Formats: sequence, C-alpha cells, structure tokens
Amino acid sequence: MMISDLAPHTGLLAGIFWSAATIALYYAARWVHKRRPRWWSSPLALAPILLIVLAVFLHENYHEYIRGTHWLVAMLGPVTVAFALPIFEQRAVIRKHWPVLLTGVLVGDAMAMLSAWGLATLLHLSDAVRLSLLPRSVSTPFAMAVSGDIGGIPDLTAVFVVLTGVFGAMLGEALLAFLPLRSALARGALFGMGAHGAGVAQARRVGDEEGAIASLVMIMAGLSNVLAAPLLALVLR
Amino acid sequence: MHSFNPRKLVVSSRLVMRHSRLLQGGALAGFWLLGEGVARISGLPIPGGIVGLALVLLLLASGRLKAISLRRGADWLLAEMLLFFIPAVLAVLDHREFLGLLGLKLLAVVLTGTLFVMGTTGVAVDLCCRLNVRLARHDDK
Repeated sequence: MMISDLAPHTGLLAGIFWSAATIALYYAARWVHKRRPRWWSSPLALAPILLIVLAVFLHENYHEYIRGTHWLVAMLGPVTVAFALPIFEQRAVIRKHWPVLLTGVLVGDAMAMLSAWGLATLLHLSDAVRLSLLPRSVSTPFAMAVSGDIGGIPDLTAVFVVLTGVFGAMLGEALLAFLPLRSALARGALFGMGAHGAGVAQARRVGDEEGAIASLVMIMAGLSNVLAAPLLALVLR
Repeated sequence: MHSFNPRKLVVSSRLVMRHSRLLQGGALAGFWLLGEGVARISGLPIPGGIVGLALVLLLLASGRLKAISLRRGADWLLAEMLLFFIPAVLAVLDHREFLGLLGLKLLAVVLTGTLFVMGTTGVAVDLCCRLNVRLARHDDK
C-alpha cells in the first residue's frame, strides 16, 4: 500500500477530508502567527503552503481538491454582504469624503492596470497570463468575473489575487512605515486598493476607521472594474 | 403555570437572534443567496454578494433592520475571511510550470505592481485630504 492510498480521493469523504484539512491548517497557521507574527506565518501564506505540500504528498490534484472545498470559497459571498455593517457604521466619514475616495480608486485602478500590463510586457509573459494579471488587485469574486470577460483565465486570476493579497498585506505594513500618510483615509485606501480582502483584514488591525475605509475602497474598486470590463474587452480584443 | 404568550416568543427569538453569530451568519448567507438570485434574473454582471450588500445597506439605512441583529455574525465572518481565500491558491497544483522562472517573473510582477498601486493610492488620497483641509481653512478666513 502506498502513502497516497491513505487519503480518500473521490466523493464525499474526500470533500470532508480536504475541508477539515484546510480549516485545521488555517487555525494552526493563525496560532503560529499569533506567537510569531512574521510575513511567512500569515494564515494566507503558511496554510496554503502546508496544504500544497500535503496535496503533493498525497498525489491529489486541484480538480478533486476544489470539488470538496468549493463551499469555503463560496463563503466569500456572505462575507461580502457582511461588509454592509462596517460601511454603515462609518457612513458619516464616507458621506464627507467620498470624492477623495473615488479619486483614490481611479488612480489606483489606472496604476493597477498599467503596472500589470507594463511589467508583464517587460518580462515577455504570454497574452493569456497578461490578461489574467490585469484584475488581480480586486477581490476574488469581481476579479474572476472580469478576467473571464477580458479573455484571461479566471482560475489563474484567483491565484494572482491571493498572491496580491498576501504580499499586499505584508508590503502595506512596510509602506506605512515609509510613507508619511497622515489621514486614516489614506491608510485605509492603500490597503483596500492594493490588497483587497487580505488588506482589509490587515487594515482592521491598524484601526476601525482604516478597516471600514479599506472595505469600502475594495468594493468601489471591484465595482469600477466590473463596469470597466466590457470597455476593456473592446479595447483588448 | 405558564400560559403561551406570542409576544414573549417574538421577544425571546429576537434575543436569541442578537446573541447567536451562527444564526446571523446564516441570515447574511440568506441575503447573499437573494442577491445571487436578483443578479441572475436581472442579468447584471455584478456578483450576488454586492447585490446582497446593497440590500442590507438599504435596510439598515431605512431603519427596518437594526445593526445589532447582524453585528456578531458580520464580525465573525470578517474575522475569519482569510480562510475563504485559501482553497483558491491550490490552483497552483494544476500549473506546475509556475514553479520555475515563470513563477519568479509572475511574483516580480505581482510584488512590484502591488507596491506601485498601494503607494500611488495612499499618496493620492493623502494629498486630496491635505488639499481639502487647506481649502477648508481658506474658507474660514
């Protein structure tokens, strides 16, 4: 008997096994991160790495894995709805500063598309990869919709989105130490625009106002991308 | 002996709702499903979660829904948000070609691009804020 035979490969049992493994490794990573708060120990970095090691070890492929754990990804839907509360509670700030936030989103959007396009061209990446890179700053549900629209590969985009989140949340902290940003608005926008969900989680740790601004900016960025996608598709094809 | 009092039942179920994050999480999922349905029927290219969010915001703003009855569920979901991103990363399993030079290139694009986006957004918003403050001071004079 081989080691890879120890884990169930198909059906309900495999689904339960991989869901349990994902949740357990997430909590394990969070436990480690609490004791050793380094970038590599972030749950978004450590848990996937451990899972990939486990999957390679057990000869599991992505198709089987995601079939059992898709419900976890689907939970991003209710999470999106949950953002209604922090946004509602910060409505005074938002009513007062929406033009500033909108400016930030437009600047960030332009920069995201330009930098992804420019850097991908510079490094001679293929068209499909380049198109999949474009919507990576936006949160997963938006990004995957946009990627499909403009001719990218949604699955690939999801990977880039998560990478952006991991590194964005990490880089954001470092950037805040360098950039003299005085307003909570700017700090929140930086996280929400650059690192979507993971950035919002990080911004919530910086402060309540930063967290709410970050979630709002993330949603505005997603909406602007979804609205711009048909236009982009026209230009790119 | 206790007599059956419908009003008491409504009050106590409201109390349960205010304390159970699981029920509240379920309610948020309900709004998401509703949003999903609306998005599909109307054919709008907007994720169902966003439609659900707009719906909850409307209900909160109109006072039909109290923030306290969703507070715990929302805090819970938002705190565990990172868990729901993890399965997507495993897509790398189907793209072994990323383990070499291509992977390094992609990492470089993601890292530098994200740095650019965060830097410009933060600075742009901060400049706008300072400008606003200065304009406001000017108005006061």
